[in-house]
Amino acid sequence: MKRKKSSQSRLKKEVLEQSLCTGCGACVGLCPYQVVYRDRTVQLFDCDLSDGKCRAFCPRTPADGRLLRDGLFDAADATDEIGPVKEFWFTRAKDAGLRARAQHGGTVTALLRLAMSEGWIDAAIVSGRLDGREPEGRLIDRGEEPADYAGSRFWAAPTVAAFHRMPENGAGRVGVVATPCQALALAKIRTAKIDGYQKGGTLSLVIGLFCGWTLALDRFQNLLNQYHLPAQNLTGMDIPAGKNILELRTAGGAVNVPMDEVDECVREACRYCIDSTAEFADLSVGAARFGGNPVEMSGWNQVIVRSEKGKNLVSLARDQGILECREAPRRALAELMSAAAEKKKKALARIIEKSRSPEKLLYLNPDDPAVRKYLNEVLQDKAKPLLKKKGDR
Amino acid sequence: MTRLLAPAGSKVLFLGNEAIARGALEAGVSVATAYPGTPSSEVIESLAPAASKRNLYVEWSVNEKVALEVAAAASFAGLRSMAVMKQNGVNVASDFLLHLTASGTRGGLVLVSCEDPGALSSVNEGESRYFAGMLEMPLLEPADFQEAKDMTKWAFELSEAIGNVVMLRSVTRMSHASGNVVCGTLPAKARKAAFEYGGPIMDSQTGPMISTPVVAKHLLRRQKLKAVCALFEKSPFNRYTGPARPDLLLITASACWLYAAEAVHMLGLQKKVGILKLGTTWPLPPRLVSQYLRKARRILIVEEVMAFLEENVKVLAAGNPKLSEDKTFFGKYDGTLPFAGELNPDIVADALVKIFNIRRCGLSSSYQEEARKTAAMLPPREQTFCAGCPHRASFWSIHNAIALDGRGGFVCGDIGCYSMAALTPANGFGTMPTLHSMGSGTGLASGFARLAPFGFKKPVLTVCGDSTFYHAVIPALINARHNRADITFIVLDNQGTAMTGFQPHPGNEMNALRESVPAVDIAAVCRAIGAKVAVCDPFDLSATGSVLTDFLAEKDSLKVLILRQACALSPEKKGKKTFEMKVDESLCLGDACGCNRLCTRIFRCPALVWDRKKKKAAVDEVVCAGCGVCASICPRKAILKSQAASAAASGG
Amino acid sequence: MKTKRLSVTKNLVLTGVGGQGNVMASRALAGMLVDAGYVVTIGETFGMSQRGGSVMSHLRISPDAVRSPQIPRGGADVIVALEPLEALRVLTVYGNPEVSLLSNSRSIDPIGVITGERDYPSEETIRIAFARLTARYWLFDATAVGLDLGNPVLSNVVMLGALAGTGLLPIDRRMFAKEIRKTGSPGKCALNMKAFDAGFSMIK
Repeated sequence: MKRKKSSQSRLKKEVLEQSLCTGCGACVGLCPYQVVYRDRTVQLFDCDLSDGKCRAFCPRTPADGRLLRDGLFDAADATDEIGPVKEFWFTRAKDAGLRARAQHGGTVTALLRLAMSEGWIDAAIVSGRLDGREPEGRLIDRGEEPADYAGSRFWAAPTVAAFHRMPENGAGRVGVVATPCQALALAKIRTAKIDGYQKGGTLSLVIGLFCGWTLALDRFQNLLNQYHLPAQNLTGMDIPAGKNILELRTAGGAVNVPMDEVDECVREACRYCIDSTAEFADLSVGAARFGGNPVEMSGWNQVIVRSEKGKNLVSLARDQGILECREAPRRALAELMSAAAEKKKKALARIIEKSRSPEKLLYLNPDDPAVRKYLNEVLQDKAKPLLKKKGDR
Repeated sequence: MTRLLAPAGSKVLFLGNEAIARGALEAGVSVATAYPGTPSSEVIESLAPAASKRNLYVEWSVNEKVALEVAAAASFAGLRSMAVMKQNGVNVASDFLLHLTASGTRGGLVLVSCEDPGALSSVNEGESRYFAGMLEMPLLEPADFQEAKDMTKWAFELSEAIGNVVMLRSVTRMSHASGNVVCGTLPAKARKAAFEYGGPIMDSQTGPMISTPVVAKHLLRRQKLKAVCALFEKSPFNRYTGPARPDLLLITASACWLYAAEAVHMLGLQKKVGILKLGTTWPLPPRLVSQYLRKARRILIVEEVMAFLEENVKVLAAGNPKLSEDKTFFGKYDGTLPFAGELNPDIVADALVKIFNIRRCGLSSSYQEEARKTAAMLPPREQTFCAGCPHRASFWSIHNAIALDGRGGFVCGDIGCYSMAALTPANGFGTMPTLHSMGSGTGLASGFARLAPFGFKKPVLTVCGDSTFYHAVIPALINARHNRADITFIVLDNQGTAMTGFQPHPGNEMNALRESVPAVDIAAVCRAIGAKVAVCDPFDLSATGSVLTDFLAEKDSLKVLILRQACALSPEKKGKKTFEMKVDESLCLGDACGCNRLCTRIFRCPALVWDRKKKKAAVDEVVCAGCGVCASICPRKAILKSQAASAAASGG
Repeated sequence: MKTKRLSVTKNLVLTGVGGQGNVMASRALAGMLVDAGYVVTIGETFGMSQRGGSVMSHLRISPDAVRSPQIPRGGADVIVALEPLEALRVLTVYGNPEVSLLSNSRSIDPIGVITGERDYPSEETIRIAFARLTARYWLFDATAVGLDLGNPVLSNVVMLGALAGTGLLPIDRRMFAKEIRKTGSPGKCALNMKAFDAGFSMIK
């Protein structure tokens, strides 16, 4: 009788060895066999189970996006470019002090605080502080201040592992601030039907973050060394609107790094990602960038509301005067969708280059219409030079 | 009162090694040295308790070369002395031995080599009989326990008769077997040490003890062999049993004599096979051997491991046409007997069956079939680290640090209990791909670490035990430091020479004679060499892992981590548990996702047992040593540890 | 019980797992027989085999001659086993249709069984194999007796007592008492005698 291949070895073959691992932490914290160390997912020992949660939860193992979406969102809200959209707002925290501590509008922090004070969640998982240590997810409860964890991190933290490490009974309901890949893993966790696994039900709220890429820690570390900038001195990072630089902020001032140098540091796995807006979250938050004056938009977030829960939270925040909400300019949504679609196409092109076949999409399902649409566009684009040749006289 | 000092005439059951020790005592030995090595260790172990009563100095030397040098000094001072070692120990001592056989000796000096055909407790199947031929010193091989004693006693007399080292060679099946021995008398008077050296250069009894002038002393060494042969011709250790004109002359020595006698007896060939048992195997007494060679046309030579005896018999025969024409020699060269592995009565019987073309009465085929079927379903009993062994914890941490580092680091192995990490990869969690001789791990690591210019990127680690450190590692460590080899060197300090039976070494404050002595601190030596040194308790997995990951990340330096924790079988620990361990079944995940039996499948301590019915892990309290390490690895904290009563009582 | 003096060599294999007291048992047995005037050869291996591995002592008990420390294939007269898997292992090499076997029933799992890679033979399989490969056998829990007396390693002495009870070898209680006084402290002697007697009474 042929033994089924272990989940762990399939995870290794399908994801780790393919440079597809995003460092989200979904396979870590479940068991002693996988850990994250210095930005790498390491398999310590061999596990021979063939129905493991590690592979089931990994956002880069083959899955059907349609099933996930059906389980979490209304079909009527679906868009191809940026996932389900119930509402689209520009928002910012009313409290100026909070905004000052945040990356842009302080929306995520304000919503987390509200969800906790209203009892929608008992604890939140965010990525740890910016202090130069090994990146990891942090569990914060009512006693702690989410604003302490505000500010964008441009490298991956294995945040989902922090969810796995929570005790089986005790922490109550949890909200997680997640990047797109983490949100996909959390969606798999929420919808999982695994014998004896009840924990997925404690996941009450997922606030997604817009994301274009993350930095590979070792290469980023080299970059910091070149600029004589110890990691612990960093107080924040940002890509100012319209500028092609990464701004590194310290107590003593800011250093601007040209984007092409930053590009060298991008984590390999990010190049195969089709989701720039965290399509599987209850709501997703990014910096307002499109459809208006950069100066006017600075200090504001753009928010995509996706689920009923997300809608209710944003409503409550607005009604309680915690969040300022305004209608986004019409062009904003269109430009966001356009940018998102471009990213999908770029990623799909790289995926079929890696898989050497337009029918093999690694972790994506070619039968998912949202994927198929852009796949076709990519294939057409590829064929264009030939067509052009035909058309030449 | 030790059995070794039994009165003259007593009939005692002695181990072969104890018989050798008794023989040395009866010869009035004054100094006995050794380095522990199975199967030789019991010679010194049995002499040590008798030392005070017999004005005897017994030393566990740092290695076999020094052991022989210490014994040689006693010999130069006119005392009878003995150096004991296993087969590859002779290799270590061989440089000095080469010069010693040229300078000559004074008080009788016997080199006892206990060998391990079949490598039952070794990682090699070496042969030191060839040293006898190469260095031109007499070789004696006892074939039973009485002979082991009598021959050892006589070896000292022989050594003094010729002024040279005598080698006495035993094997595991002699050294570790036991048999009846009748004891002789122990001498009353002890000798006094004196060393003069003003005499002529060629006189080793009064002149300087040097190997020069080389050619002249070499010729002198050969000259001595004439006297040896004369004595060997008359030696009672060479015996013949069998018919006057045998169909087959079987020439043998050592334990092989017992196998041959048993085989002949089993096959009822006593009337056809004559057995010439030689106890004096080099140089062969030419007249004696020729006399028997003349008696038969077919000759079988039975020996372990290689064809030393066979070659010497054939050289003798080739020198005399009457001895070699029309003769058939059976042995290793013609494939009758194997060139590797140990022999036993069955192998010798199979050889005789082939030569005589007879059938051996065996068991019925139905019994054999039943036995074969049964054997096929028996799970093997692998060797593994004992329950409570610090090495298991050490290799766990080493494996994890290497995995986290991610560059494919590996460990160059060395000799000790931790060698099992290479012998059974699961014991070392797959970290140890090289294993050779004592101290060679550090030397190899020192070499691998210089291969960066050739594109070699893997981090290099090496381990050694505390005893091995003093034996052979220090020069290699100096080499690594001086040649800037970037290695992580881990000393597995379990505070004794554990594999061979827990003999003391220079790291202990007590010696073979149970005297209080200064210890040489490994950490201090490493610091003096210029290494970066840290010391950890291997049972503290997180501290150990932390130091190792830091060391692996640190480039361009020699890093030493000393993992200090006593062996589970050491006197201080044996039979005493620090903790009582128990599995909480309500927490144990067993073979479910989230654990999948990490403790019983991967950690593999023999005290952690998988209960198939309950599908839970359990602690076998009979086997458990109470070290507590498994509690740290369980992902559910389902392995509970509580202070053991004895530990609590003693405040430990 | 008076046993007949041996006229030919008797071959006995004592086997178990490293750490079970195999060596002590074989020395005690040999000591008794040397005292009784026999020429005894014990063949043993220790060192690496001790690290949880199989351990075997071959005892050659001869009225007159020194025998090889290894018993030939199929040459055992008596097998005494401190562990049933080792009993089977020895039986398949040194057993013959006339061999007698005394075996402890308490098993010690080899590492391969603990990790689930291999199976330990069931008790029924063991009994069937014993029945097929021996002339007669005794199987009982000597470790339980040892545990009752406070130390599981006493199982080795329990087996010696049982061996005496079978009359297969010319040994008895008096000889054992004399032997144990040579090597043990008075307190230990009493405990050993209890273990010996318990084993003796196992044989009906």
